[in-house]
Parts: sequence; C-alpha cells; structure tokens
Amino acid sequence: MSYPNLSADVFWECTRNRSSYMVKRGHGTSQTIFSKEPMNLKNIHSRKNSGLVNEKAIGVMPGTDRGVILITKTSNEKNGQKPIKLFQKTELKKHNRKVYGSIVNTTAKKYYRPDLRADAVARASAILHSQRKQKGSSSSA
Amino acid sequence: MVAAKKHVPIVKKRGHKKFNRHQSDLYKCVPSSWRKPKGIDNRVRRRFKGQAAMPKIGYGSNKKTRHMTPSGHKAFLVQNTSDVELLLMHNRTFAAEIGHAVSSRKRVEILAKAKALGVKVTNPKGRVSTDA
Repeated sequence: MSYPNLSADVFWECTRNRSSYMVKRGHGTSQTIFSKEPMNLKNIHSRKNSGLVNEKAIGVMPGTDRGVILITKTSNEKNGQKPIKLFQKTELKKHNRKVYGSIVNTTAKKYYRPDLRADAVARASAILHSQRKQKGSSSSA
Repeated sequence: MVAAKKHVPIVKKRGHKKFNRHQSDLYKCVPSSWRKPKGIDNRVRRRFKGQAAMPKIGYGSNKKTRHMTPSGHKAFLVQNTSDVELLLMHNRTFAAEIGHAVSSRKRVEILAKAKALGVKVTNPKGRVSTDA
C-alpha cells in the first residue's frame, strides 16, 4: 500500500526480511526467495519487482474465465485513505497480441513503470499460454 | 513442460563419499561431522598415504550448474498449487518437487496446475500411479 508519511524505500527495508508473501527455499548458495504478491510480475522478492512497496506497479493476473486482468496503482494523493480504490483493474479478453498492445499502451508508453514493460508482456503471454486447451488430455505426465 | 534454459554442460564430478571427521570411526564421542585436523603431527592434515581425504575446493562443481538436475532445472519444493504458480515465469530454471507429505488428492491438483503452467515436476509419480 502507500502511506503519506512512509517512503517506498523505508517500506521496503521493513518488509524485505519479514513478509508473509515471501517464500524461501534452500539455504546458502542455493537459496531462492520468491514472492507471492499479486502485483509482482516475476514473483521475485526484490525492491524493483515488489508490487506492495512501489508506488507504481503493474500486476497481471489470469482473468475470470479467460484473458488477463491488468492491475495498476492510482496515485495515493487521491486515494490515500481508501486502499481498495488504490488498484485499477482492467480485464483484457481480446486477441493475444492486442492484449500485449493494450498492456504496453496503458503502462509503459505512458511512462508508467517502463522498466516492467517486457516482464508484463511476458507474464501475460505465459498466462494466456496456460489457458489454452491442452493437447492430448491424458491424465498426467 | 518447457525445456530448461540453455546452460553450460553439467560436469558431474566423481561423487565423493561424505567427508567424515578424523577418528570419528574410532571413538563414539567424536561425531562424524567434518572438523579440519589442526594438530602438529596429524597424519590426515599432512595428507599421508592411506589417510582420509580432506574437503577442498576442487571437489566443488561449477557455480553455473550447481544444484542442477540433469534436465537443467533446479528443484523447488512445492506443497500446494499456489507454490506452483510462483514458477510461472521461471519454468525454464526451476522444476517443482512435491513435498513428501502431500496427499495424493493434492498431488493430482498440483500436477494439473503444473501441466497448465508448463512447469516440470521432478516426482510426478509419487502416490499418484495406481499400479499395485
């Protein structure tokens, strides 16, 4: 979320070591830390990818039956006291390439987190791919 | 299921047995966990013939392929379907490994999810195959 008196950097320092979204596996050199945040495009627990900490973030979720839902954050000056209104959700159900186009047009091309452009498109692509009907629906591999 | 990312070939070094602490085979009070011998006359430290080998950096494997399975994935322990979803963007680097205590009903759910997301499962047959 966003608090008027708390910068994103302080927020990150508070949550980087203790967060219910964090998933740690392994230890030492084999340790990987993932994040279950809904607005984390790569599911990587990091300052850049965190959807909770950053004032601007992009989330891509699977849609209700098909397509994807694009989530962005509105500025907290408007909605500081109303966290539910912080998230703007748009459902994209068009052809795949149009989905990628509208993700880019509404975010990166408006200078809204242009650094996440490729990740957002990649995630949408992966979600759309997973929604395809699977060939040869035999039980398990 | 998606193939693993391109990587340098995995060099499997000849598997060394566990390094046991010197004289842990002789005395009950000396546990087997490795401690480097420090004594001035110690024959293991001086690498005498026939003595136990000491761990050294040469036994290590390439950092780029460390922890990799032969398929080129790294195993990631998974207990439920939401853990599988974490690997959506990482299905070329990580493979899901279902935890040993997960029931067969949940295993079926996990396998279906993994298949949809293109995530490899390292132990897909556990508790699921029906042959008696």
